[in-house]
Amino acid sequence: MLALLIVLSLLLLTAYFREAPGGRLHGIQRDFLTVVTPIQDGANKALKPVRDMFSWFSNTLHAKSQLAQALKQAEKLRRQLVAQQEEQRSYRELLALTHLDRLGVGDYRPVTATVIDKDPNIWYSTVTIDKGESSGVQRDDPVINAEGLVGKVTQVAPDGALVELLTGSSMGVGARIGTSQATGLVQPKVGDPNDLLLGYLPANTQANAGEYVVTSGTVTPAYPSLYPPGLLIGQVTSVDEESADKSVNVTPVANLHDLDIVQVLTAAPGSRAANLNQLAISLPPGRQAGGAGGEQLASTQVGE
Amino acid sequence: MNGASPGPLALRLGVFALIVVFFQIGVVSEVPVFGVNAELCALLVAFAGLLCGSTVGAACGFAVGLFIDLALLQTLGLTSLIFTLVGYWCGRLRELRDPQGALTPLLVGVSASAVALAGYSLMEFMLGVDAPVSFLLLREIVLGVVVNTIVALPMWALTRRVLEGALPEDPRRRRRRRAYTTGGLSPLSKASAR
Repeated sequence: MLALLIVLSLLLLTAYFREAPGGRLHGIQRDFLTVVTPIQDGANKALKPVRDMFSWFSNTLHAKSQLAQALKQAEKLRRQLVAQQEEQRSYRELLALTHLDRLGVGDYRPVTATVIDKDPNIWYSTVTIDKGESSGVQRDDPVINAEGLVGKVTQVAPDGALVELLTGSSMGVGARIGTSQATGLVQPKVGDPNDLLLGYLPANTQANAGEYVVTSGTVTPAYPSLYPPGLLIGQVTSVDEESADKSVNVTPVANLHDLDIVQVLTAAPGSRAANLNQLAISLPPGRQAGGAGGEQLASTQVGE
Repeated sequence: MNGASPGPLALRLGVFALIVVFFQIGVVSEVPVFGVNAELCALLVAFAGLLCGSTVGAACGFAVGLFIDLALLQTLGLTSLIFTLVGYWCGRLRELRDPQGALTPLLVGVSASAVALAGYSLMEFMLGVDAPVSFLLLREIVLGVVVNTIVALPMWALTRRVLEGALPEDPRRRRRRRAYTTGGLSPLSKASAR
């Protein structure tokens, strides 16, 4: 009995690992998700009071320290706002003058989704949402919440989708530090799944702790980014001056441990975002723009 | 599965496992304690093995693992392989040693959690996940075991309560009970000895 079950597990493991994402076992998994999603959704709603009760205790413990931090940050932001309003006005004028055309959030059609389950182990940084192909969600669509960028869609079922979070090992997002024009690549910090690393920055980049990191969007037409520019990713915590490539440590602003409602930035048919997505899907897995490789190309190109 | 029909046990265990998996996914995985989540499914499989034997433990481990892999779109067969081994080992412990100590469930729960978490990490390394052995990873495993230690005894009590009445009769335990009540002799031989 034991031998039979172990052999069966190993066969499944081998077959699943070797087959393509569109393979038979992946298909069975997607079908299973379609069947289980309504049950999970129901269980999720039924268990929400229990979850909220536990969350209430942990949130209360953190609230005091967060309040002091938030007040300090609000004061800093108020000062920045005044300065940036003036900068924004100048920026708009310059943008109109140079006809700088970039893909913005306006090119996407946001689909609001509920997180129906989270992966309970430390190895996968994924969540499952209750919207899928039937709502227009496609693989590689960016996912955001009220705080900022959360991740991207990696697998889609008719009524559900798997979202890889920013801290997932295969993620890579072209990004820049708010005040500078230097772009780099945000990737999970190796060995620390709760932290990010903004690497491949030009050597002369100035970065200070507390500065915000946002998506850079497409910086060169040859290497388009799937993520629209200006989406908040995180905050700089420290700068690594000693590494060969300049890099900074970044803490995600979105609380990836407490996701409830998210928005998938789906591309409207025929839009530039849709064309970009189609291009990404048609690429072989190693060259997809949504993966670390594609975004890396874009950033290093600028870095040079 | 000696001395008991497998129907009621399979039904109770199946329904209970389904509830535990949904509770794990819906609640426990969203409530981190010390930055990690309790792993109720590993405890369930371990206790199913400890209460019902190696065959049921392994089968329960395989089914629960497969369900998790399917529901969470994980690598198919990974969790089922680890849980099968955990369930089997816990079942063999019962069959060979039949430990009766009050702390046995706690120790079994801790060991099962450690094996599950470490086994998971090992398998992920073998499958090529890009993450080095770091202090953080070890800390996550240790904290995971600590959190599971906290919930092991309540989970044991709940599992035993749910499965009580449908559990198979263990010949070793039956012999031991008889020895305790009759001093090792059957009532007939005891009467003739007088």
